[in-house]
Amino acid sequence: MSDSSPDAAASTSSSATGVVPSHSPSSSLSKIQASIQTLSAIVPSIPPSLLTSENPALYLLHDPDVSATISSLLRRPDSGSGDNNLCRWLYDTFQSTDPQLQLVVVRFLPVIAGSYLSRAASSGLRAGKTLAGFEAVLLALYAHETTARDGNSVTINIPDISHPSIYHESKIPPSKNNATVLNIAVMSPALEPHGTVRSTRRGRIVGVALELYYSRISQMPKDSKMEFCEFSEKWAGISRPKSSGSDGKAREEGEGGGGRIPLPWEVMQPALRILGHCIMGPSKDVQLYDAACGACRSFHARALQDMDAKAILATGSLLRVAEMSVDPKNNVDHTEIKFTESITV
Amino acid sequence: MVESQCAEPSGNEDQILVRELCANGACMKADEVEAKLDAGNIQEAESSIREGLSLSLEEARALIGRLEYQRGNIEGALGVYDGIDLQAATERLQSLADNNAARKNRPRDSPTSGSQHAASLVLEAIYLKSKSLQKLGRSYDAAQECKSVLDATEKIFQQGISDVQVDNRLQDTVSQAVELLPELWKQAGYYPEAISAYRRALLSQWNLDNDCCARIQKAFAVFLLHSGVEAASPSLTSQVEGSYVPKNNLEEAVLLLLILVRKYSLGKTKWDPSVMEHLSFALSICNQTCVLGKELEETLPGVLHRVERWNTLALCYSGAGQNRVALNLLRKSLHKHERPDHVVALLLAAKICSEDSHLAAEGVEYAQRAATVKAQGSGADDEQNLKGVAVHVLGLCLAKQAKASSSDFERSRLQAEALKSLEIAASLEPSNPDLVFDLGVQHAEQRNLSVALRYAKKYIDATGGSMSKGWRLLALILSAQQRFSEAAVVTDAALDETAKWEQGPLLRLKAKLKVAQSLPSEAIETYSYLLALIQAQRKSFGPVISVSQAEDDKVNEYEVWHGLADLYSRLSQWKDVEVCLGKARELKKYSPELLQTEGMMLEARGELQAALCSYVCGHLMEPTYVPGIILVAALLSKRESEASKPVARSILTDALRLEPTNRKAWYYLGIVHRDDGRTADAADCFQAASMLDESDPIESFTSIY
Repeated sequence: MSDSSPDAAASTSSSATGVVPSHSPSSSLSKIQASIQTLSAIVPSIPPSLLTSENPALYLLHDPDVSATISSLLRRPDSGSGDNNLCRWLYDTFQSTDPQLQLVVVRFLPVIAGSYLSRAASSGLRAGKTLAGFEAVLLALYAHETTARDGNSVTINIPDISHPSIYHESKIPPSKNNATVLNIAVMSPALEPHGTVRSTRRGRIVGVALELYYSRISQMPKDSKMEFCEFSEKWAGISRPKSSGSDGKAREEGEGGGGRIPLPWEVMQPALRILGHCIMGPSKDVQLYDAACGACRSFHARALQDMDAKAILATGSLLRVAEMSVDPKNNVDHTEIKFTESITV
Repeated sequence: MVESQCAEPSGNEDQILVRELCANGACMKADEVEAKLDAGNIQEAESSIREGLSLSLEEARALIGRLEYQRGNIEGALGVYDGIDLQAATERLQSLADNNAARKNRPRDSPTSGSQHAASLVLEAIYLKSKSLQKLGRSYDAAQECKSVLDATEKIFQQGISDVQVDNRLQDTVSQAVELLPELWKQAGYYPEAISAYRRALLSQWNLDNDCCARIQKAFAVFLLHSGVEAASPSLTSQVEGSYVPKNNLEEAVLLLLILVRKYSLGKTKWDPSVMEHLSFALSICNQTCVLGKELEETLPGVLHRVERWNTLALCYSGAGQNRVALNLLRKSLHKHERPDHVVALLLAAKICSEDSHLAAEGVEYAQRAATVKAQGSGADDEQNLKGVAVHVLGLCLAKQAKASSSDFERSRLQAEALKSLEIAASLEPSNPDLVFDLGVQHAEQRNLSVALRYAKKYIDATGGSMSKGWRLLALILSAQQRFSEAAVVTDAALDETAKWEQGPLLRLKAKLKVAQSLPSEAIETYSYLLALIQAQRKSFGPVISVSQAEDDKVNEYEVWHGLADLYSRLSQWKDVEVCLGKARELKKYSPELLQTEGMMLEARGELQAALCSYVCGHLMEPTYVPGIILVAALLSKRESEASKPVARSILTDALRLEPTNRKAWYYLGIVHRDDGRTADAADCFQAASMLDESDPIESFTSIY
């Protein structure tokens, strides 16, 4: 099961991405300060300078030490219960509707969802009571997303490129018959409100929370994404025996299978989009790239186990794209000038 | 994707040493100038160039800047460029362009070649300044400089650049600046600016060559796919009326990638395998593998190996639910002259075959081959993993093949092998709950009900109750053990854990349990609730396909009407039976179950000949359905005519060959023997019947899949 030791990866420095929200008005500043004060009662290691900083919510989001402490608290075996203070704080903070504070909660989604799904899968139905704290936070995220999109499904159009588009070179106006046939793809089906987590809806609720995470991913610190990669590996549950002399049974107790969860498409799809960002996103980071590639390989192996054609295609393509992106022969800098023996004016 | 960060520093790729500097028909040795620069005498270098090549101060500085840049002395280059008032130079150029336009008053006119030369020099200088800043890690400043190249270009060429208007050098600088700008914004972390830079590159007239344009389109598509920054819709000014405008990142990325694939097909650009991979990722993420399949089918021959193409196509079609098409493609690729040992293709083919008892034997062969073949190019872990999958699928195929086998001996052999395979697979993949489930179903099918029960419980635990099929399996096994009230408790618990829209199969189960418990009014109530659910579902979802678990949970309306017809026939309410049968028949015309229910109704009304007709028709539609055979035999055995007795006996023997543990078959065989006066045989049969337990679940175990 998920251990409670703080993760080494979480202690490295976080890299802020370029999207920095503007300062919040003073009313929400006091809200943020109140919230952090509550947190400092739960997490003693919060530095006092945090409260006085100009943008405490942003500081909290990107402070590696505080985040590592919170993460390790969330990884404790008893962390997800209904009376857990930290879960309560996360729930209340998210409900505060302050977008900056909400980001802080979303930042911890990988640990929450990761611990939650793995524990729910391994401890069976008895998990119900001990995971109520996690469930409350996840339901809050789910409800937020439900309201944000008014319960509607998310669809996208797949264009028929025999019809003109803004990126077509010939800007000839379309002929009279401009009934463009579009393929409509459902990315995420309609959402119905849920007051409790019914076990068969568990995957969907976490999946929607992951969709929310993905929509904020450019504002997430690296550590959070690293945590996601780590739990993805666990979710896939691909046992990788270290030594060759293992005889099935020995591995059963090993860490290989711990944390494996059912991976329906509703979880797989947002998870793969997140991994795609970690691998191919604009802020290239070698450590994150490696972690995400590892997770993606595990998902690929799992997709083969489940013979899930869509997931095999998606993970396979992502892995090949990742490989090509680091291949020096695909990284010729075309913006470099031609170096010539003689320079003419 | 072009990432300047990953590019080699210029020092290494700079194998070409600058030998000479040329201008105005004169040349001078570069090393003389370099020596002066190295000694720190920049002004001396300047003046020697001005004299030697008769250049202006600015031109000389531009030349030195380029020399320093090319030598890898980036900071030196930057120092030189800082010394040129590029701002003033561009303004001069712009006013020149304005004058030209004003004087001739012809909008399509371009700057003269003389001013073009000046423009080229200035723009190249700014561009190199931007590159220098980039190399020094000052991406934001670099982006500002690069942007000013584009701003100036736009002012000078107000109507956009066309082929004949500009010299190559100027065009190169402009193209490079267009390509560089979004990369710089990305490096600086200014993502919205990067998006508008990409759009500016692609939507304005820069006269980019095809390869450059394709690179930018690909880089933009990748950015849209993976940046996680939601781009606003393209501005209205760039939209031609009636043309398609993507409304979000994913749509825009897919559009760009589709255009890139098309460009290759038209021969405009060279093939870039990563474009297809990006497209494959994007389309599978949005469940449109059928569109991906279409694109793959349209790629020109010679790009993808045919086996690779068949295999990927098979995945596409299988992902879109068209397994038969996928299987046909896999048969081609697994042909002995192609690549018969491709493990993933073998596994997919076997998996598809495992779903159909008529294909199962073919699947067994694929799975066996997959289990023995060593996966090429994969590590030991993957090999272990794939072997587990192969044995797993082998078990499923064998189990399915057992269903279609004609002899009892053959069937029990296959069943035993199936169980063995599944158990081996379970030891290879100890943490895979799907194997636990499949083992549960197999044991249940073979009526090892207590073992099956254990597996079903284990499965529910291992999945945290999140899979509806686990609950249904447990309830069915309990029903097969005739523990109806416990099965009802499980069903209710499962209903509690299931959202309203997905309750269909559970409600059907519940209704059948009520029937089995002889609670007809509650059963009818459940059925009518289920019917209302189905109708509401149809209204609210419409034709949109849902991708969640709901998809396989949709209960056929037909099944409800058939269930009701069955229920009313038990209650002998024949009028109602007729109504329900009519409704069911509207939804499914040819159905053995309906014919059987109809037969029972006719039999009860005393229309024996008509009843027999129905039974026989049903039997002909599905010759291996044992309850159907028994109905025919039971009716025949009741008839007075002597001729029908041997027929009854023979088809009952058939039924027992298919299902040796069927109690009813033994019972009716006993009756036939008794009526024929073979008392001893009859006694044997009755004894067999009395020893066998009723062990049929309320609906077939295969209904769970």
